[in-house]
Amino acid sequence: MSRYTFAWILSCICALTLNGANRVEAEATAPPTAEALIAAMDKNLTFEARKSHTVMTVSGHRDRTYEMISYGRGEEDAAMEYVAPARDKGTRMLKLGDELWIYMPNVDRVQKISGHMLRQGMMGSDLSYEDMMASRQMRKQYNAKVTGEQVVDGHACWTLELLAKNESVTYPKRVTAVDKQTFIPLKQDLYALSGMLLKTWTMADVKEFAGGRKFPTRMTVQDHVKKQSVTKVEFKSIEFGVEFPREVFSLRWLERK
Amino acid sequence: MILATSVKLALRNTTRRRTRTLLTAGMVVLGVALLLLALSWVGGIFQSILSTATALGGHVRVVQPKFAEREELSPLYENISNVAPLEAALRALPGVAGVEPRITTGVTVSRGDQIGDVFGLVVGASERYFRERTGAKEKLISGAWFSGEPNEAILGSKVAAEVGAKVGDELILVGMTQDGSMSPIKVKLAAIAQMGVGGLDQQIFVPLSLVQYLVDIEGGATELLVYGEEYERADLLVRQLRAAPLLKDYTVQSWSEREPWRSLSGTVNGMQSVIVAVIVFLTALGIWNTMMMSVLERTHEIGVLRAMGLSRWGTVRLFVGEALAIAILGGLLGVALAAYPAWLLETRGITIGARTAASTSLMISETMRGDLNWTVVGTSFCLGLLMALLGSLVPALRAASIQPVAAMRGGR
Repeated sequence: MSRYTFAWILSCICALTLNGANRVEAEATAPPTAEALIAAMDKNLTFEARKSHTVMTVSGHRDRTYEMISYGRGEEDAAMEYVAPARDKGTRMLKLGDELWIYMPNVDRVQKISGHMLRQGMMGSDLSYEDMMASRQMRKQYNAKVTGEQVVDGHACWTLELLAKNESVTYPKRVTAVDKQTFIPLKQDLYALSGMLLKTWTMADVKEFAGGRKFPTRMTVQDHVKKQSVTKVEFKSIEFGVEFPREVFSLRWLERK
Repeated sequence: MILATSVKLALRNTTRRRTRTLLTAGMVVLGVALLLLALSWVGGIFQSILSTATALGGHVRVVQPKFAEREELSPLYENISNVAPLEAALRALPGVAGVEPRITTGVTVSRGDQIGDVFGLVVGASERYFRERTGAKEKLISGAWFSGEPNEAILGSKVAAEVGAKVGDELILVGMTQDGSMSPIKVKLAAIAQMGVGGLDQQIFVPLSLVQYLVDIEGGATELLVYGEEYERADLLVRQLRAAPLLKDYTVQSWSEREPWRSLSGTVNGMQSVIVAVIVFLTALGIWNTMMMSVLERTHEIGVLRAMGLSRWGTVRLFVGEALAIAILGGLLGVALAAYPAWLLETRGITIGARTAASTSLMISETMRGDLNWTVVGTSFCLGLLMALLGSLVPALRAASIQPVAAMRGGR
């Protein structure tokens, strides 16, 4: 083999090797399709059944901490019971579809809430009843496109822009930073139809649960309309796929003594 | 001497042409009577509104500065957290006749199992406030006054009718805490009051402690209402309170500095000015007309007087004096004519009905009364003189400009 032939073979090998490496890197950084991302998000965040023990801290004109046990069934149904503070202990909420009932123990009455009232702050927090008690699949509500990349709290993320498919969706536009590793939306900016930024919702402390599901155990929501208020939600415990009595999702459960 | 002669001549002239004098006097009578009625009527209504409003809202109010800025949003979190020491300190100040902590907030009111959507305004205050300031104790149409139980409520007649509540019923009031959480309380309906004043029949009177629980402001209040001896002297009281070191962190406002009274005061003054201007102008126009006729008829006479040495100024004085003499007579008759109807307006008033009164946002009583006082009488009478002065000035100047020789030769 001549010296020139050897050099040519060597350069070909080098070229192939480098090309291969570049392709792997390119594959790693190439954005997945928006549909794939949104499906991965939905897979993590939606569930058939969930039970959790949650602590919600609202920092505003004064700090308040609420503790509640909540149950979720599918995308629309949820039940919640407050266990602290003493003033709100025993308050129960039941959401079935677009309707919500609140049981108020100190007057032993049920108040029904529906329509736009569902979008009001729950217990004066930055989270609406709907934010806290609905778990709808994003892909049914939004058209998505990947618009870039960003880093959130040291995590590399895809930037996903979600535009509502119809006007009934609470937040017509979301700009979401989806973690490349866990497919959890670590940061979401939620916009009104006018383009006004309504809320910023961040998720952190992502943990792995049964079946490989990733789920954030801490969230922070800031309602930019309310100003000077931040709500932090921490899941003390959370179980997916649990079975709970069917009566939990009934008005009887709401008014039980 | 010259002045006395002018006055004598002016008085004599009033009796020389009686028809014209009566015509001029009649216009002054009408003008003064209309002014007296209009001023006492408008003033009476406004005074009635202010009297009710200041009794309910205090002569002076002490609140957190941000509460005053954003009052229309009812920011319960901008409250005075520990109100008792401040209340006690204010009571000790000279010129302060009373202090009442108060919380007002919107609620839904319901009876029975279903939470309804009848809206009411809860007022949380002391029993003394409800009794002395709102006068509700005299306006009960059923039930009995607060017995001292902590969960009693007195409903305005309108809200009671909307809910279909009867005395003894248990009612649920659902409001919001200062943090925005839904907050319900249960009350027992002690009585129903027909306040007969716009807005008040939609209110629910509840002991302060219960409303403090409802809005989660333990021991606090959103407003401290301060009362002096008279609401008209609130400006003095507010200056005194602003100088007090214990109130340096609060907003202290007299009733006249707060809406809607600040704007309404200007509107009422404007209304009164327009009424006065229109009546004075029209009456002066009538006087001008009769006086001008008088000048034209008496051109020859004026010429003779001028030839005999009456100066231009003397001529003006003669005609103005004549008009003023008629105006004094007309003014007195006008006051006499309007005094009885104005007195009737003050004592009996005009009833517009509870429904009409309740439908207004202002605190208008269902019986609207006038206010006949010496200021109104004096103002009307003086304005009668002003009418005469204005109406006679141009004819008098016209008379003063007559050349004696030409007037005597041509009779003009």
